[in-house]
Amino acid sequence: MAGRLFVRRRDGRIEVRLNDAGREMAREAFGHVLAAEVDPEHDWHASLNAPINPGSDVDDPLAVFNRQHDVTSNVELAVATLNEEFLNDAEAWAWLCSLQVALRAFITAKGLLSADRLEESDEGTRDYIKTLQILLFALADVM
Amino acid sequence: MPSVKPLRVSDETQNATQTATLTERPWNVVVWDDPVTPMSVVVVIFRKIFGYPNNKATQLMLTVHHEGRAIVWSGPLERAQGYCVKLQVAGLLATIEQDS
Repeated sequence: MAGRLFVRRRDGRIEVRLNDAGREMAREAFGHVLAAEVDPEHDWHASLNAPINPGSDVDDPLAVFNRQHDVTSNVELAVATLNEEFLNDAEAWAWLCSLQVALRAFITAKGLLSADRLEESDEGTRDYIKTLQILLFALADVM
Repeated sequence: MPSVKPLRVSDETQNATQTATLTERPWNVVVWDDPVTPMSVVVVIFRKIFGYPNNKATQLMLTVHHEGRAIVWSGPLERAQGYCVKLQVAGLLATIEQDS
């Protein structure tokens, strides 16, 4: 892949150098996170509602509420800044969290929780994962 | 000088709470490995959420990678729960457990 996808500028802002296809992929991932948060039937919903304390039958409702609120806030900020040329640190953090939530939810929904299962998955699935990883790696590199 | 009413019951309750807090086993925040999350992303998340320096964040990330899990913070239940939620919001597989 030619060039860097995100560049930290001297003024502290992060320049987004994604092309239309890259932004469209991010838009799609963010859209799935937003939908999965409110739709129990969505494939990604279970991943967004993972147990906090597996030793307890029920998680603290306040903690569950806080998680839902923060995931939604992050992804809404990420969607709102999808077409921006520059991100500040808070916006870049919202992108990172939302992309990582999308990546984890995707592999959880597909049952790809081990390296072996990942190897056995189809090419389209592996390409999707790899593209999200590239975005995440590039973003983490400037944070 | 303002008068102060003695509050015996509250004092006793407070003492009991403090004693329980001192003797209660701490809660661990555990991060679990997965096959896809880039290592540098985990390091950034640990630095951002806990304020850990880069070398400590990297060491914890490597523990997760090699051992399948790492205890990244220990302390009172409420704070452990708060950190666990922040890690989950950042997309990591995290849980809490009481120290054995």
